[in-house]
Amino acid sequence: MASNADSALVEHISLEKLTVQESLHNPALHGIGYQQSFSQLALGIDLQRQSTAFIPEKGKGFTLPYIKVNTYHHLNGSSTVWGEASYTTGKQHDIKWNSTSDYDLLQPYILADTAGGNTRRERYTISGGYAARINRLALGGEMLVRAEQEYRGRDPRMRGIVTDLTLRIGSGYDFMRYRVGATIETNIYKQTNSVAFYREEGVIPEFQMTGLGSEYSRFSGDKRSLYYDGGGMTLLLHASPIDHSGIYCDISLDEHRYHRKLAEFNSMPLTDLYNEHAGVTVGWKRDKGYRLTTLAHLDYTRRTGNEHVGGTSDARYFPVIACLTMYKGQMLDSYLGALYGRNHWNIVLTAGYKSQSEEYVYPHREMKASHVYGKLQGQCFLRPGNKILLTVDAHASYLAKVSDKLQMPFANMGEDITRMIQHKHKFATANYTDLGAKVRADYAWKQTRYGIFAELGGGLTLCSASEHQTQFHSSIGITF
Amino acid sequence: MVITACAPVEDDIFTTARITVTAGDELIITRVQAQVQLTNVNTRQVTTVADFEGSSATVEVLRGAYQIGIEGVATCQMSDGTTRMRQFRSQSDYAEFISKEQNDITLNMIFLD
Repeated sequence: MASNADSALVEHISLEKLTVQESLHNPALHGIGYQQSFSQLALGIDLQRQSTAFIPEKGKGFTLPYIKVNTYHHLNGSSTVWGEASYTTGKQHDIKWNSTSDYDLLQPYILADTAGGNTRRERYTISGGYAARINRLALGGEMLVRAEQEYRGRDPRMRGIVTDLTLRIGSGYDFMRYRVGATIETNIYKQTNSVAFYREEGVIPEFQMTGLGSEYSRFSGDKRSLYYDGGGMTLLLHASPIDHSGIYCDISLDEHRYHRKLAEFNSMPLTDLYNEHAGVTVGWKRDKGYRLTTLAHLDYTRRTGNEHVGGTSDARYFPVIACLTMYKGQMLDSYLGALYGRNHWNIVLTAGYKSQSEEYVYPHREMKASHVYGKLQGQCFLRPGNKILLTVDAHASYLAKVSDKLQMPFANMGEDITRMIQHKHKFATANYTDLGAKVRADYAWKQTRYGIFAELGGGLTLCSASEHQTQFHSSIGITF
Repeated sequence: MVITACAPVEDDIFTTARITVTAGDELIITRVQAQVQLTNVNTRQVTTVADFEGSSATVEVLRGAYQIGIEGVATCQMSDGTTRMRQFRSQSDYAEFISKEQNDITLNMIFLD
């Protein structure tokens, strides 16, 4: 028989929560999403190594030790608080063609150079939320803060300082046999980004990248100080059966924009990036002695990049005389999934199709790739002794290319840029096999809610371009 | 920052630029054979055109700011009625071709002979 501490742990880390992950972003539903309180303090490390960088801008891997504490606590029958705080510090290895932090968020509008190198990272996160339930109505609010700095101690000395604030308010209402919910989220994002050179040997140019290897030539070279100003809003809608048996639906709509401005020219706007995303999940679930969920998911993201055209300068002030849409990107991810679970184990099978296309309008550049994929995940909870609970997770996936396209004005492109584009295309159109496993051992003291745990995980990704990636994760900590 | 707001898309990125060369009122330019080089100030892309109709050349370019350089020969009708071929240059350090319709610019010729 599992102790209370064990069942709280199982509830909080169960793979079953994958199917309700979207709705748990709603703070009101998060407050009633778990039956038991659970807190954890963890000290761990995440490592990743690639034989060659799959995406040069993100480097060949990382070494990131961290300390993290999170808590979820029911104050009484009707209100819940939760929070998380973490500190991560470490290294990102062999970054090239990128001197800006948060590449995934801001690409392709980044600052870049051909030298690159390792960077050091420090990240602080803190978040907290509160939810209350009044009869059929649930209300909640949450705030998440991330502060991060990334820097390099040798030339080119990049530095990116990020502050990222997210506020969410959500509501839920029990209507007949359904629980419906709505969330509004607002985000404010800022990054100060610069590159300095201290060595006397000279400097190399920093490029203001504008997509698919193109650059804003006028402000490339020695313009190395800029900042990003952004944010956006998200709307989430959910409907799911209260008794966990029936059809459920999650919808998310969001729009985020990021403006890149030159700090040294009176904050002249260089580029604006718009990310628009829509996602919908429709599923059916049953929870009667066993858990069965089938679902269909569709995710569409459109990225639009506008370039500001600078006019003639007047006392280091450049007026913007036009704004042109030069970069267009689209991403589609659709999959069918099924989860089957019993008391102490769960398996999830997913099969899908995803495509990514990027276009730079003039001079025309285009890169497209589409893949089909299948993924199998499994999780089981084992009890080798009275006080020990083992959680074993494993996954295997295969991603196979269906089609690709590359169109570039190679005759007019420099050697370095050409090599970088060909490298990116090779990895964007490769096939990937991914295998991974994780084991967690929890030891619970009897009659108390305290426990200790240790976790060890690893993964291997094989790329058809004859390269590979290895991952390692380890953590220890206490639960309470 | 409103959820219903879509990204402002500006797909009209090209425009027509008409570059006319003039030598003032004293000379009438009847024919020009020259190469116009337009350098986009922001992207450094260079566009060239050599098709003159009378004293004007028309070209489609990315909307933006340009440096213009022209070099060639022109057939000039002199004040005494005679015609003469003359070598010339024209230059502008900054010209805005922003309008989505036609953009006109007139440059003065500098004769090299």
